[in-house]
Amino acid sequence: MENIVLEMRKINKSFDANHVVKDVDFNMKKGEIRALIGENGAGKSTLMNILGGVIPLDNGEIYIDNQKTEIQNPSSAKALGIAFIHQELNLINDLTVYENLFLGSEILKKSGFLDVEKMCEKTKEVLELLKINLNPKTMVKTLDASYKQVVEIAKAIMLNARIIIMDEPTTSLTNVEIENVFTIMRTLRNNGVSIIFISHKLKELISVCDSYSILRDGMLVADGNMEEDKMTEVDIARYMVNCSTQKDTSYRRREIGETILEVKNYSMEKTFSDINFSLRKGEILGFTGLLGDGRSELFQSLFGEKRGAVGTIEHKGKEISIKNTTAALNAGIGYVPSNRKENGIIKDLTIVENLTLVALNQFKRKGLLDHKRENDCTDKYKEDLRIKMGSKHNLITSLSGGNQQKIVLAKWLEANPDVLILDNPTQGVDIGGKSDIYSIIFDLAEKGISIIILSSEAQEVMRLCDRMMIMYHGFVTGELSAEEVTEEKIMILATGGSLERVN
Amino acid sequence: MDELKVNNKRIILNKIWSDYSVGVIFILIVITSILIKGTDFFSVTNIANIFRNNSIVGIIALGMTFVIISGGIDLSVGSQLVGVGTIIILILESTSGFLHPIVSSVLAIIGGLVMGILLGGLNGLIITKGKVPPFIVTLGTMNIYRSVAQHFMRGGGFSTKNTTYIGISNYELFGVIPLPIIYFLLLAFMMYVIGKHTKTGRYIYAVGSNEKAARLSTINVNKIKLLTYGLMGLMVAIAAIVETSRMGSINPTSSANYYEMDAISAAIVGGVSMRGGKGMIVGTVFGVLTIGLINNMMTLIGVPPFLVNAMKGIIIVVAVLLQKKDAD
Repeated sequence: MENIVLEMRKINKSFDANHVVKDVDFNMKKGEIRALIGENGAGKSTLMNILGGVIPLDNGEIYIDNQKTEIQNPSSAKALGIAFIHQELNLINDLTVYENLFLGSEILKKSGFLDVEKMCEKTKEVLELLKINLNPKTMVKTLDASYKQVVEIAKAIMLNARIIIMDEPTTSLTNVEIENVFTIMRTLRNNGVSIIFISHKLKELISVCDSYSILRDGMLVADGNMEEDKMTEVDIARYMVNCSTQKDTSYRRREIGETILEVKNYSMEKTFSDINFSLRKGEILGFTGLLGDGRSELFQSLFGEKRGAVGTIEHKGKEISIKNTTAALNAGIGYVPSNRKENGIIKDLTIVENLTLVALNQFKRKGLLDHKRENDCTDKYKEDLRIKMGSKHNLITSLSGGNQQKIVLAKWLEANPDVLILDNPTQGVDIGGKSDIYSIIFDLAEKGISIIILSSEAQEVMRLCDRMMIMYHGFVTGELSAEEVTEEKIMILATGGSLERVN
Repeated sequence: MDELKVNNKRIILNKIWSDYSVGVIFILIVITSILIKGTDFFSVTNIANIFRNNSIVGIIALGMTFVIISGGIDLSVGSQLVGVGTIIILILESTSGFLHPIVSSVLAIIGGLVMGILLGGLNGLIITKGKVPPFIVTLGTMNIYRSVAQHFMRGGGFSTKNTTYIGISNYELFGVIPLPIIYFLLLAFMMYVIGKHTKTGRYIYAVGSNEKAARLSTINVNKIKLLTYGLMGLMVAIAAIVETSRMGSINPTSSANYYEMDAISAAIVGGVSMRGGKGMIVGTVFGVLTIGLINNMMTLIGVPPFLVNAMKGIIIVVAVLLQKKDAD
């Protein structure tokens, strides 16, 4: 057959009980650009981390140039000619282009000093190959995003990479910059380099890739030639989400009251633009999208944690300004952040101390803290939210992820907010804990608290929300009601498409 | 199940050790001291001596405990003390001609307390508003405060003859307990209550443990930091009052040298984590006493004077080696 550079056969990988990559076959020809497509959590990153030597595989075989190989660590991957360009670039901003290219493998003169001229010369050669005119002595921090991407690619070429993995290289680039990168990718392909391209932007994938592999739930569900199969965005989106998935039944219909929060023309430079939405009493409103959609930043700034946004926020018909988190609390807005470990829990405090932190004023008596009331309050939530814990005076880190999350939730409930923003509320929570948290959310909404759920899992927002807004690159691309939503529609809107094409 | 129990027991033992190890170390040293020196060591005057000699650094260490728990550090406390002491002596001397000694002392004390809060607060302001790391800010003010005081005093020392003021630290309750000990213990109790039983105390721990999560829990992080440095300044001012009244003088060049290091050492030996979020006032009190006791012992058994600091250094390192070990 043709020149097969890479063959991954029946790759399997589990994390604990979580089987994330199942019997996946993945092949690359010499000189092709292959799209690796899938939702968050479909197994793409795991598969690529195995190829890049970042994590070991459980079982399966990898052949490079028809030779069976084992990739034990990133440097053995490098030695095999596999370069992994991560989404967050691994460049050192305070060094020049050539210093970055030769980092760790500097060329020395006989005297032991750096041979700057030779390194610059070699850098020039590589850049010329990429048809890029760039002075090797430019500081990396002065380059714009696409040139940084180019420097990463140059680094890969310097290593004589034959397979380059590019993980979402275009998320932070403008359209012109994206075209630059694509031109270089095509040049490389014509020189016989194989490129694995991971992106959520389906349009891009179709325009630049020769072939595709689509993963869903850790399994390969489709692969083939982009042109021969006449793939469209809609086709890809269908493969990414399981069309046969039935809508989950946990959604509960509720009485929904008057408008409580209204956000108009809310924008922040380079993060989100012209956001308009309203939230009603007892409503569960979802915000979803893919990485880099700006939803977390949007709500961090609504909560007063991020500054620099413009626009109006009306709370119960009155315009308010939220300068800091305390102002948000006073306006009745609560926020359970994502990344519980970094943003949610305070690891050196006990369970009780974490739980009462936001509403601590309520536990004061004559200037001192009333420890008995704190303890009683913790007991109450332990019962209400079914929190499994040993002694409530243990550190919060003694709890499992799901129970920690319930404490963080309880911390906010004790402050009686009327709007509660939950950012990725079930991140790192097991299935049992998840359904507990879902039913807590419904209970809260039934009590009249308005809830905003931010989640990248389409299934999660579909399960919980009355309405959902889908974001793409800082814009709201569409709004769907619980009746009309399908996973496919979410996926199309989240990848920057429009719904007219579906119908 | 049994395994779980054993595990739990180990967790509890570990917790007791990590929380109270300084107490254990302290008791061990007391026992050794008694074994070596017997009644000499145990005499009331010797014990009172240990306490009194360490109460000044002890008071500073109390403030330092909160500063470190909140995630900061204050290297300028020795220089703050000199600044406050200078103001105090200047007020005492400039008013001695026409004011009653008691009025003059009260004025000096008020002036000193205000000065302390200002100097500490200035550190806090630069740290929070200027977003400069505490180490750098207080390294700077360490130089500034002392140097300005030296300039005002023309490099030399000044003394006071106000006997009321001198009485503040040179009086023994019931004829045996020097007053500085009482001040130290009262302040330690006050700081313990703040740390354990007030909102502010809880916030200080939260800010030091995880600043971002604290801010997302609607804590005004800057306010809390400013407050810890202000409180630090207040403690330094009280320490300065004790020091100047004990000596009857202040010398910006030779007074309060290395107090910052002694206070930090006491807190660390007492189990306060340099990473913030962890530590207890009770631990710091024992830390102060442990270091004081060792100094005292070394004098009693006649360790060559130049080696005293080496011993102190060894104790700091050993104490920290024995403590902690967070598994993260």
